[in-house]
Amino acid sequence: MKLFLGGILLAVGFAALPLFTQRNDFLNLGVQIFLAVALAQSWNLLGGYAGQITLGHAAFFGLGALVTRTLWVGGAPLFLALPAGALVATAFGVLIGAPAFRLRGAYFAIGTLALAEILRITVGNLMPQISTIPAAALASYSIIPRYYLTFALSVFCVAVVALLVRSRIGLGIQAVREDEAAAEASGVGAFGHKLLALAISTALVGLTGGAFAYYHVSYYPQHTFSPTWTFDAVLIAFIGGVGTIHGPVLGALFFVLLREVLAVRWVDLHLLIFGVLFVLIVLFLPGGLVGAWDTTRRLIGRLTRQR
Amino acid sequence: MLEVKNLEVAYGALTALHGVSLTIQPGEMVALVGPNGAGKSTLLKTIAGLLVPRAGAILWEGKRLSAVPPQRIVERGVALVPEGRRLFARMTVRENLELGAFTRRAQTERRAQIERVHAIFPRLFEREGQLAGSLSGGEQQMLALGRALMGLPRLLLLDEPSLGLAPRIVESIFSVLAELHREGMSLFVVEQNVHAVLHLARRAYILEGGRIVGEGEGQKLLQDDHVRAAYLGPLARGATS
Amino acid sequence: MILTQQLILGVLVGALYGLAAAGLSLTFGVLRVLNVAHGELLMLGGYGTFWLFTLWQIDPFLSLLYVAPAMFVLGLLLYGALFQFVVQANEEVRIKNSLLIGFGLTLILHTLAIHFWTADERAVTTSYGGAVVRIGVFAVPLIRLASLVFAFAILTALHLFLAKTRWGRAIRATAEDWEAAALMGIPVGKTYLVAFALGTVLAGISPSIGLEWTLKALIVVVLAGLGSLFGSFAGGILLGLAEATSVAFLGGPYREVMGLILFLIILVLRPQGLFGERG
Repeated sequence: MKLFLGGILLAVGFAALPLFTQRNDFLNLGVQIFLAVALAQSWNLLGGYAGQITLGHAAFFGLGALVTRTLWVGGAPLFLALPAGALVATAFGVLIGAPAFRLRGAYFAIGTLALAEILRITVGNLMPQISTIPAAALASYSIIPRYYLTFALSVFCVAVVALLVRSRIGLGIQAVREDEAAAEASGVGAFGHKLLALAISTALVGLTGGAFAYYHVSYYPQHTFSPTWTFDAVLIAFIGGVGTIHGPVLGALFFVLLREVLAVRWVDLHLLIFGVLFVLIVLFLPGGLVGAWDTTRRLIGRLTRQR
Repeated sequence: MLEVKNLEVAYGALTALHGVSLTIQPGEMVALVGPNGAGKSTLLKTIAGLLVPRAGAILWEGKRLSAVPPQRIVERGVALVPEGRRLFARMTVRENLELGAFTRRAQTERRAQIERVHAIFPRLFEREGQLAGSLSGGEQQMLALGRALMGLPRLLLLDEPSLGLAPRIVESIFSVLAELHREGMSLFVVEQNVHAVLHLARRAYILEGGRIVGEGEGQKLLQDDHVRAAYLGPLARGATS
Repeated sequence: MILTQQLILGVLVGALYGLAAAGLSLTFGVLRVLNVAHGELLMLGGYGTFWLFTLWQIDPFLSLLYVAPAMFVLGLLLYGALFQFVVQANEEVRIKNSLLIGFGLTLILHTLAIHFWTADERAVTTSYGGAVVRIGVFAVPLIRLASLVFAFAILTALHLFLAKTRWGRAIRATAEDWEAAALMGIPVGKTYLVAFALGTVLAGISPSIGLEWTLKALIVVVLAGLGSLFGSFAGGILLGLAEATSVAFLGGPYREVMGLILFLIILVLRPQGLFGERG
């Protein structure tokens, strides 16, 4: 309950931010945070709750970005272009789902990575030119709608995942993660549940890609397929606390803010720190920051009780 | 001499052995019988160092053996022939034997010991270059036994040596064990095939539900009503774990 | 004509892929650990070679005598600091964790390397660098040919080590069944350490052309399946051939695509790899 209230507070705070400041750098930072939350939370559903560590997340981000950008720059209204991107991403996800889930563990991870790379190289070769928002739209470019769109997206992602994992289907998905054979034996269709997690995950990240396409003024199309997006998602989810709702949110905040703070001195230092944190968390703190916080609270509770 | 004192072994929250105590005198052949799931394999694995006890102690030749890593236990003269043989199937018979003599102590006598093993198991000598996985069940058991002997053990632990083997082969395995015993080796044999082992073993312990529930002379136990009812007869003979 | 020339080059590059993957195959086969930072280790070895050449004019092939022991020590350190904790879990968790740890390690090494050495590509040009050997009508770069011979020699040496020596047997036994190996008196922890360090040495001495080899090494290892050294050599050559075909038919920019697609197809049809056993 406390967590939920804290989340509401945070959301309200972010929602109200543009009323207090019009500074572009703050608002841009906000967009970065929201995108990071959506990116990580969508991965968290498949990688954390369903236990299918995927390294192909960027493929669906890129597809969403590609379709949305193409349609929107071509004149289509955003409320059509955005879902179209998500739809394409999901369709692709479901398509590869059947063969992909025949692979287990490391093979699944590497296989999805290979897939994302194939897309990246192909897109990079077919569309090497930079994609820029046309002059007319550029003139009227305002960060505010982007801010609220990505904000709504991040809230949406958190809400969808939160509601899903509490539902019966969500429990089924987690059961499959724990022990696929046992889940099957209790009547939970493993493949179906995994596919559903994949579909929702790709839909969410497809939307995120679309939002990115709406937000970023100019970029190379193949950049949206870069494995960096996947790795960012994995890092954030794990460091925040994979398999929890608030983990990716906290992780995203931490990630983006740290990056901003450190970018002045040493451009990729935040990656170094995150790399070390990541290793430590995988080895010793599987619950991530959230888990560490819970353990600390419990320790403090025990210490104060003993008085 | 092997002493097990109040040994308690658990798998997570599940306690497999409760306060098990037994001794094996030098040169003795002792059997451990009991139903499936009694914890017999667990006991052998703990003595061999693959498991760490939660409580209690194991002493070998006066010094502590519990919580010592398995490779050091081999160096001190205790070897386990594990359940299911656990041969290196992708390596040859010869390589399996050579691996048995990995410890420095055994390395010095490697050549001589291989000759001895071949003398005991001439069939292995014929199949020296074959992959261990391609051997028949009986030959695999011989190889597992030979491999353990390469480590120059003074105490040999055997976990279900007769498992899945035809009666005639079981006989030949046990006659080898009897011969080793006559030459002075201590043997601790876990067996479902109560009949075969109780004829040879001078003493035997009965393990049920992780506890020692009985002890006695081999021959006498064969006559014991409880043992007869529980273990002898068609249900007990050749049952798989 | 062009296709054949490409294919020959493909085989030569493939041999190097195989060598690069051999170290990964060793650690994967023995420890069941997938060290995805392998690519960074390749890079480190490459940098070592580069600096020895630039600073002291040591020929790249000779510099391996210095790079190899240095990489061995690095491997010992990495195992002691990180991977020894990973091997304590069961196999599935082990692979997953090593994937993640390797990923974190990649990040750390990559960031450090870029910071200290900048992101430029480095190349080593020796006096014989441009020499070409003519076989019939085909031109084969001398260095590539020498590298092929080198790769083959190293793998043969490794194979002999594993097949004939006491420690080599111990490594193979531990790879197959570590508990049974422990029962033979084999110190499993030390064996893992040696195997991991060896894998690191192999990474360091592989002449890597370019920095993005991690995925290629992974592909080769997974393609070839568990544990077979010559299998990964063959797998590397297969990848090299696939890439060459890709270049011949689709052009340079699509070089990787054929290999990746081939990889995915084989993975789906035969999950244990071409030469692996069902595990």
